[in-house]
Amino acid sequence: MTLSPYVPIVGLLILGALFALFSVSIAPIVGPKRYNRAKLEAYECGIEPAPQPVGGGRFPVKFYLTAMLFIIFDIEIIFLYPWAVSFDALGLFGFVEMVLFIVTVFIAYTYVWRRGGLNWD
Amino acid sequence: MEDLNLPPIDYAALSPILILFGVACLGVLVEAFAPRRARHPVQLVLAIGGSVAALVMVVLERNTRVVTIGDAVAIDGPSLFLQGAILLLGIVSLLLIGERSLEAGGPFVAQAALTVGSEKDNRQAQGAPGNTEIYPLAVFALSGMLLFVAANDLLTMFIALEVLSLPLYLLCALARRKRLLSQEAALKYFLLGSYASAFFLFGVALLYGYAGGVNLQQINEAVAASQNSDILLYAGLALLAIGLLFKVAAAPFHVWTPDVYQGAPTPVTAFMAACTKVAGFGALLRVLYVAFEGVQWDYQPVIGTIAVLTMIVGSVLAVTQQDIKRLLAYSSIANAGYLLVGVVAQNREGVSSTLFYLVAYGFTVLAAFGVVSLVRDADGEATHLSRWAGLGRRSPLLAAIFTFLMLAFAGIPLTSGFISKFVVFGAAIDGGQSWLVVAGVVTSMIIAFPYLRVIVMMWLSEPAETTPTVSVPGWMTSAAVFIGVLATLALGVVPSPLLDLTNDASLFVR
Amino acid sequence: MAGVNNFPFLSILTLGPLVGAAVVACIPKAKGNLAKIVALAVSLVMLVLSVFMWVAFQVGGDAQRFQFRESYPWIPGLGVNFTFAADGIALVMLMLIAVLVPLVILASWHDAEQSRRSVPVYFALLLSLEACMFGVFAAADVFLFYVFFEVMLVPMYFIIGSYGTAKRQYAAVKFFLYSLVGGLFMLAAVIGLWVVGGKTFDWVALTQIDIQTGTERWLFLGFFIAFAIKAPFFPFHTWLPDAGGAAPAGAAALLVGVLDKVGTFGILRYCLPLFPEASQWFAPWAIALALIGIIYAALLAVGQNDLKRLVSYTSIAHFGFIGIGIFAFTTQAGTGAVLYMLNHGLATGLLFLVVGMFVARRGSALVSDFGGAGKLVPVLAGVLFFAGLASLALPGTAPFVSEFLVLIGVFTVNKTVAVIATLGIILAAAYVLWMVQRTTQGTLNPALADIEPMRKDITLREKVVVAPLIALLIVLGFYPKPVTDVINPAVEATMQQDMGKQDPAPTGGGVTEASR
Repeated sequence: MTLSPYVPIVGLLILGALFALFSVSIAPIVGPKRYNRAKLEAYECGIEPAPQPVGGGRFPVKFYLTAMLFIIFDIEIIFLYPWAVSFDALGLFGFVEMVLFIVTVFIAYTYVWRRGGLNWD
Repeated sequence: MEDLNLPPIDYAALSPILILFGVACLGVLVEAFAPRRARHPVQLVLAIGGSVAALVMVVLERNTRVVTIGDAVAIDGPSLFLQGAILLLGIVSLLLIGERSLEAGGPFVAQAALTVGSEKDNRQAQGAPGNTEIYPLAVFALSGMLLFVAANDLLTMFIALEVLSLPLYLLCALARRKRLLSQEAALKYFLLGSYASAFFLFGVALLYGYAGGVNLQQINEAVAASQNSDILLYAGLALLAIGLLFKVAAAPFHVWTPDVYQGAPTPVTAFMAACTKVAGFGALLRVLYVAFEGVQWDYQPVIGTIAVLTMIVGSVLAVTQQDIKRLLAYSSIANAGYLLVGVVAQNREGVSSTLFYLVAYGFTVLAAFGVVSLVRDADGEATHLSRWAGLGRRSPLLAAIFTFLMLAFAGIPLTSGFISKFVVFGAAIDGGQSWLVVAGVVTSMIIAFPYLRVIVMMWLSEPAETTPTVSVPGWMTSAAVFIGVLATLALGVVPSPLLDLTNDASLFVR
Repeated sequence: MAGVNNFPFLSILTLGPLVGAAVVACIPKAKGNLAKIVALAVSLVMLVLSVFMWVAFQVGGDAQRFQFRESYPWIPGLGVNFTFAADGIALVMLMLIAVLVPLVILASWHDAEQSRRSVPVYFALLLSLEACMFGVFAAADVFLFYVFFEVMLVPMYFIIGSYGTAKRQYAAVKFFLYSLVGGLFMLAAVIGLWVVGGKTFDWVALTQIDIQTGTERWLFLGFFIAFAIKAPFFPFHTWLPDAGGAAPAGAAALLVGVLDKVGTFGILRYCLPLFPEASQWFAPWAIALALIGIIYAALLAVGQNDLKRLVSYTSIAHFGFIGIGIFAFTTQAGTGAVLYMLNHGLATGLLFLVVGMFVARRGSALVSDFGGAGKLVPVLAGVLFFAGLASLALPGTAPFVSEFLVLIGVFTVNKTVAVIATLGIILAAAYVLWMVQRTTQGTLNPALADIEPMRKDITLREKVVVAPLIALLIVLGFYPKPVTDVINPAVEATMQQDMGKQDPAPTGGGVTEASR
């Protein structure tokens, strides 16, 4: 019994971990340090992080809406990519299927658009 | 690159699912483009018309027995029967959902997410027009249910589960009155439901590890021949079963049921109690009978124990309920137990009796919730049992109908409830599961008490000062209640046609 | 022979009152009198029909055991048929129903009005109850029997619950739950029998099958518990005094007179023929329960202060006699038991109806509220006295014949049981005579004289109600032969053909060679 097929995988894991550790620890040592106000603040998606009301305040729901819309298109791209790669093999059937898929996504998109989901205010 | 071989697709067999999905998408477009005023009638016609069209296709395809689209969907006797049942019950539920005459603006609100008690929310509760997205949502749920009962591999089944569940989570939150309860119901259902989905998915993963595939036939073969560890099989089956038993509200995965049934708008509760139960049991039957037939002796005692537990929990807790919707929820749990008795029988009668029970129960429960939606006072539906005192004096017809439905739930002969209990218990004794029948009989005695209490409340108690009025039902609620009562009576007096149908439909294709 | 015997008596008897009930229920609330008349007419038509049936029923050497057989398919998938057939036992019970229902309708002429509830509905419920009672005795299909057995509860429940006295809610629910519990035990046994018997419900086919001893005992128990609750036997009896006490008098007469006979009838028709071995195995227990019932219920009856509860307790004691008669497994005792069922229906029916007349006048059912009533209403008091004597089985009244038959039948097989049961007779004398004495004899209760209705003796309507019952009780007391001739072959077939029992050698009544 030999473990040889797993050795490269373990090696890759170790290498990856070492690289991550190395990059993170070397950056503060060798990189330049020029601070400004914006840089010191916590990164919160473009929102003013402070001053916050007591209890943390509320986070406008609009951001979530946009994020969810983004995810839909994100996933659409993920679906489109493998189809594009093997377009030749899938042929007309694959094309029709993909069109149907895009149509359903767009139905949802038009709904969001018509019902004002894209208006910021 | 060479061409991939496309799997053959039997579009006609899939057409009910496709029609409903298309109708739901159309419904979304109607929401987007139709003027506000036209939306309600258009959506109602669209949803009911689509369901009827799908039902017609199911009837036309009634002799199809095929595994299609790459073995992902099996259109066979049970799936066609269950699809037909879901569509029929769905149409009746859509009638209840479509009722707008009972309350200004209908039983739903436009925005579920508004803070309860805020000014906007109050305006909304006072009769602002409700949303019409419920129709596409309900139709999406229906299409998911149709796929759920026909899914022949576990991943398709999972997707169908999500397609049917997500709209239901939303629908639960839309009650016009008692907003807080409604929101609580939706959140609870969502959290526990996603938990159950996760269990299901985890089970699928383990079974994939065991069988090397997610197809039900593949699992069936692997159960017979696989060299892999049985732990994967049993753990996978257990997790899978948890996901499914959650949907059908079997103990100990039932805790969401009373809260959700109580909080959800009554038409939606009716929809869930009738259609979701059919879909859940359809999938459970298929998984257990097709994929895990080889280990039936191992899981039979476990599911049997769950059945007993479910019957006991449902019937005992129903005794103490003070709210009619919660009472019906516990009754639905107990009925899930009786249905499980049929499932555990593990013979052809088990399948056919479960199918019969599902249809019979579905119609009765639809009519019961239809009646519940009619008994109202100034704050909406008066669901507290004490408010039903003396209802028989105020509106004898309605009370008589509800009495009949209660007797059907209690399993008195000449109602569908009796015949369905009879066939289920008969199948169980045939399958050598007499202990389940004993448990079923004992719990039937217990749960007869709460049903009887409702009857006593309505007829034998004196009406209180504040007995709620009974709204004059619109034609849609009347039709739904009428259909439900008629089916309950007809299936009790002349059950033969449906019994024959379930008998013919009780073979799974493999 | 063919013409009359093919007439569908039994299905018409079952359907007729049902149609009548539907018609009566549709009569508007204001026209209460019309409803009463229609209901009475329907029940009289049924009476006439059953008299014809009685005449058409063939008795004698080559007569069939089951006559008037009709069979229509109902649920072929489950092997269920609408099969009706009557043997001598069923015929007697059908006659009892046909006689009692019109009298009860007449007796409860004014009952429904007092309860502020719909009058037509009350009579519709009575008629549908009649339909169910006919059905349950006429059914020759186990499923059909079960259906009637259960459905029967519903009209009775509403009669007690809606038209009863103060404790009606409690009594109605208790009645329903007890019966339902028994019914569900029976349901399990019915399903079990169906599976073991090869998916048929036909009574004849089911008597032929051979069941494993263990299974047979369980199935017997399922049926027996249902019947013992219905009958009721000790210790399942506690619902009856409540139900009998709370029901309107007419309905109570039907409840005790007929409905409860379904229990003893069911034991004779279903438990014994279907599970002969198990019946014998359980017989000592059943007899013990019956004996306890005889003594215990009689003692409780002595202590009752409520007239209707008292009569209910006496019935429980009488059911004990029927029970030992059945489980003695001799033709004589069995015939006595069936005759007892008929006579008890007449006697207790009469007693309940008369008590109802007293209660309607006084507005109370408590013995202590009466006293010396005989001075105000001498005829009515006389009727009560007669009903009491019939109930305690005085020679010359019909119940004497049946009690005597039961006792000598039992005596031939088990002397101890017979002797203990005889004690019940003494107690019966005690509770009946004491009750009669405290209500109608002695010094007049001064409160009684102030009550206006108490001064009114028996009315014409009430005479019409009690006269046929009194006549029947006397005639059958002296000449029971027409009835025993009908009963005897059926009981003999049950004991010898179905049970395989031989009667002990020296017996009196019509023993023939075992015809197996």
